[in-house]
Amino acid sequence: MDDAPGTSGAGGQDLQPRQCFAGEQAIHLERGQLVTEASRPVPRAALGAGAAAGLLALRVFAVIVGLMVIYTFIGQLR
Amino acid sequence: MTVTELPLTGEDATRSRDRLQVHRARWHNRRWLLLWLLAGPGILAMLGENDGPSMIAYTADGAQYGLGFFVPFIPVLFAMAYICQEMCMRVGAVTHRGYGALVLQRYGRAWGWFGAADLTLTNLVTLVAEFVSIRVGLAYFHLGSGVAVALGVTLVLFTLSGGRYWRWERIALGLAAFNGLFLLAAVLVRPRAGAVVSSLSFVPFPGGNFNTLLLLLASTVGATVTPWMIFFQQSASADKGLTARDIKHGRYDTAAGAALGAVFGVGALIAGAALLTHNGSGVQGFTGAGFPGALTHVAGSAAGTVFALGLIEAGAVAILTICASTAYAAGECAGVSHSFNRSPINAAVFYAANVGIALLAAVVILIPGAPLLSIALNANVLATVLLPVSLVFMVMLANDTALMGPRANKHSTNAVAISVIAFVGLCGTAYGIDSFLQATHLIGS
Repeated sequence: MDDAPGTSGAGGQDLQPRQCFAGEQAIHLERGQLVTEASRPVPRAALGAGAAAGLLALRVFAVIVGLMVIYTFIGQLR
Repeated sequence: MTVTELPLTGEDATRSRDRLQVHRARWHNRRWLLLWLLAGPGILAMLGENDGPSMIAYTADGAQYGLGFFVPFIPVLFAMAYICQEMCMRVGAVTHRGYGALVLQRYGRAWGWFGAADLTLTNLVTLVAEFVSIRVGLAYFHLGSGVAVALGVTLVLFTLSGGRYWRWERIALGLAAFNGLFLLAAVLVRPRAGAVVSSLSFVPFPGGNFNTLLLLLASTVGATVTPWMIFFQQSASADKGLTARDIKHGRYDTAAGAALGAVFGVGALIAGAALLTHNGSGVQGFTGAGFPGALTHVAGSAAGTVFALGLIEAGAVAILTICASTAYAAGECAGVSHSFNRSPINAAVFYAANVGIALLAAVVILIPGAPLLSIALNANVLATVLLPVSLVFMVMLANDTALMGPRANKHSTNAVAISVIAFVGLCGTAYGIDSFLQATHLIGS
């Protein structure tokens, strides 16, 4: 997977100076913290078929159990 | 490095002022100042979760079962919460992005919106319970629902009025300090020191049937780790401007929050245990409206008053943090500005979500005959059921070396985190299924 832009992870941006400048103004932020940088979406991760299926199964299971809780809640109202 | 092409926003300038203080404190090696400047998201996440329903759950545990088992169990749960929240802080500090934004961008819009929908649902239900908590506290002083709603909504509006994260955070932290009222309540009921110490051995294990035990575990787990904490701490860490260099202090902040949360939670438990010899009559569950009065009867008016004030505080702080987590999620998933450091004009969705969900919960409170008791009781359970999905994505993000680089999870962290997810999932699922089977009369209660 590619390094995500604007993050201070494996891309080594953590080693950058703690201060950057925009025009005449000193900004005490890392580059990745600037709104312009942080607004850039990170690249999509490639999920394997197994991982995607596992997540989907967990999601469906959570929805089913959540519906059970809601059903119980409605039952308590009667 | 010179960055001349990058346009600056007011949010950058405001955050930069806060970070300048951090740089100076670090440069001059002022450790305590640095700790003060970097503290916030961790303590607020943990003490925000020591909310009204949670404190009433702990108190009810004490009133029904006494000190045994729960005095050591609550700190264990907060240790589990630390494992989850440390990952949130670390991912926020390294990526400078909130949980909702990262899930949406990294794993697809569907997963991002699913998470946001879960969060909104559980937050709305929990917020209703927070307003109920304030109402219960105020009822001790003969004040009604209208005052509770006015207090909660005014507090949200007041904290948002500064247009600055630092201001919002410090007001919330100042309020959260009063979570210590539960410890004071514990002192005022004059517990036997020997009983507290001997309860550290996890015995006696709570009696009762299997269903009761599941309810006990699910509601107590749900009182300690919830989805909004994940959204909140990662987004707040990014909004505060934490960087990879601040991770050590972020851990201190989270650990301090967990320690305080556990101590104050145990305080509520000890206060509740004073009612054990009085059979805890009339104080079970969210009829916790009776707790302050019952404590007054058992330990004097000071204990009752302190407990009632504690409930008001617990609800108020949770309203702030839960509304903030909703606002972060809404802004991140919509791909628009989502920071306390922006003005309402420049971050309309963020501010609208923050105020909107508070108003929605407030309206429910004002509906005559609304099933507030049932809503409050089911809030923690619903959060526990939906939590494992959020936690799995959290672990995936914390393991994503493309995002996290050398700060990705270690194998030992993963082993503990997966154990926590399994435990939380098991408790929530078991209770969800069990209560459903009882409701449909497929098994006896």
